[in-house]
Amino acid sequence: MDFTAILGAWIAVGLTLFILSFLYRDNPLFKIAENLYIGIAIGYIFSITIYNVWIPKIYQPVSNRVFTSLSNWVPWVSKFVTPAGDAGSLTPLFPAIIGISLLTRIFPKISWISRYGFAFIVGYGAGLAIPATVATMFIAQIEGTIQPVFKLASGGAIDLSGPALWTSFSAILLCLGVIVTLFYFFFSLEHGKISKKVTKIGIYFLMVYFGAAFGTTVMGRFALLYGRFFDLYTYRTSGYYHATPILILLVLIFFFVYFGKSRKTSP
Amino acid sequence: MNLNAAAEILFLDEFSAADMPYDAGEEALLKWKTSPLDSAQATYQVFASTMQTGGWIKVDEFSADKKFASDIKLPFWAWKARKDLHAVAIPLETHFGKLEKNKEYFFKIISIKGRQKFESEIVSTQVKRNWFNFARLNNLVFVLVIFGIFIWTVSHAKRKGLFIRRIAGLDAIDEAIGRATEMGRPIYYITGIGSMSSISTIASTFILGEVAGKVAQYDSYVKVPHYNPIVMTVCKEVVRQAYLQAGRPDSYREDMNFFVSSDQFSYAASVDGMITREKPAACFLIGHFMAESLLLAEVGATVGAIQIAGTDSEHQLPFFFTTCDYTLIGEELYAAGAYLSKEPMLLSTLRLQDYGKFFVIVAVVIGIALMTLSVQYKWDLTDKILENIFKTY
Repeated sequence: MDFTAILGAWIAVGLTLFILSFLYRDNPLFKIAENLYIGIAIGYIFSITIYNVWIPKIYQPVSNRVFTSLSNWVPWVSKFVTPAGDAGSLTPLFPAIIGISLLTRIFPKISWISRYGFAFIVGYGAGLAIPATVATMFIAQIEGTIQPVFKLASGGAIDLSGPALWTSFSAILLCLGVIVTLFYFFFSLEHGKISKKVTKIGIYFLMVYFGAAFGTTVMGRFALLYGRFFDLYTYRTSGYYHATPILILLVLIFFFVYFGKSRKTSP
Repeated sequence: MNLNAAAEILFLDEFSAADMPYDAGEEALLKWKTSPLDSAQATYQVFASTMQTGGWIKVDEFSADKKFASDIKLPFWAWKARKDLHAVAIPLETHFGKLEKNKEYFFKIISIKGRQKFESEIVSTQVKRNWFNFARLNNLVFVLVIFGIFIWTVSHAKRKGLFIRRIAGLDAIDEAIGRATEMGRPIYYITGIGSMSSISTIASTFILGEVAGKVAQYDSYVKVPHYNPIVMTVCKEVVRQAYLQAGRPDSYREDMNFFVSSDQFSYAASVDGMITREKPAACFLIGHFMAESLLLAEVGATVGAIQIAGTDSEHQLPFFFTTCDYTLIGEELYAAGAYLSKEPMLLSTLRLQDYGKFFVIVAVVIGIALMTLSVQYKWDLTDKILENIFKTY
């Protein structure tokens, strides 16, 4: 087997065990995995930002534009530099300047510049969020709830077949659920005897939903756990030089030594 | 010039091309009048090119009894849903890649019926980005009405005050901070993994201001680990301002807010480690959360911290219910800033939210009644109006 595959298996098993060791208690192995994880994540995001954002979206269009303009004014420039891609544009400079302005916070004397950048980002964020929220959390919810209570059969009479009645029941239940749940979230209304009962039904609806969501998500998480265990199971074989059993043994030995020592030193 | 003038031939009457209205300059719209000869046996083939003389690409093909102006998904106030007009939206980017500004695109249609083939004249158009999406007029009207009611509720709240019902999770904030002060342990305030464009993150920064103000008063200590650097900087300003308002600028420290990681699970792993080692007396998990919610809340519960959570990510709420002492559900989170500050301006937003909910209830009840009646009595127009008003385009 390829050496890199074996090395990858040992690293994967090791880090999985280090992270899982947190289930017992905090320990140096978990700290190693934790710091490694953060370091790798930051490095990865940094490189993604450089290669997927800065270079293609800012550097290339701006440099292309600059070199193209320069070539028009000073023809010999084109002998040395050939811009890759189209003629480019200076427009990306605007968001780039806003982004760079945030870095001025490092220097207290000019940190006020960053406020313009933040004002733009917060204002832009709110401006983007408000219409999207009105559309998706207000209008779309009403749209989804408004359904006819019954349907007509082919003859023009009300359809009383089993599936049609079930659809009618669902529509009524949905409408009732929406109304009583919304009622729970009335803040400026004092809850009297009747409204308290309505609110309670609203809470039941919420709890049924949360229970269903909990079950679904837990199933999803178990799928992830099975994935990890499957890897541990796969890497136990001689092809991977028994990575799983050897590393489990080493982690256990470390635990006995480390926690045995700390038990002796603790008063 | 129309080349297809024979009587039994599907010729294209008033064939025209135009920019697709209200879009971001991605589509061209082709229109022509329907013909009595339109049937399932006849076919229209649509061709597009960047040149008038050649390079034709087939961009669509459909039977002649399909694709009318009434099939274009635009509301009645922005589009005439005619049945006597064929209308086809051509997504140019799909066929020609990135579109150039002021570029002319050419179109022709070949109609086929049996063995006969007839080619239309060539028409052309440019596509452009539209400043206004008239189809979203309903959104604008809703926003303006909301704004109008907001102005009214603000003036009403200033004059007469507003009643706000008790929200248990928010009343517990004092208890949590008091406990941390007594135990001499820090408070962790986690804003989640949302950006500043997330409503729950904006609500979370409001609550952080109130929490930080109380922390400053009690002379306790708050730590705010961040996932998003922009949110971190906004939170720094919020906490600094809270300490200033509480009259304790000397107690404020820059490292109260600190960046951890922009990767979801490494952020969770790191914050879990910090919580385990520092054993905070209280944890606030307020903002936008995804799969890391349980990882964070579980560890907080393990170290015995009093935990107050709040999010509008409904899939994460069950996890907070099981691990936290108090949980703010969706709307309660939005209400928290106003509830804690008691400012008339913010309180009036709660009244506004209630009006919004009341409107939804009324709209749903009336809408369902009208829809049901329209099914029974075949009120197609009512059906269509309702469908268009409560639709996001």
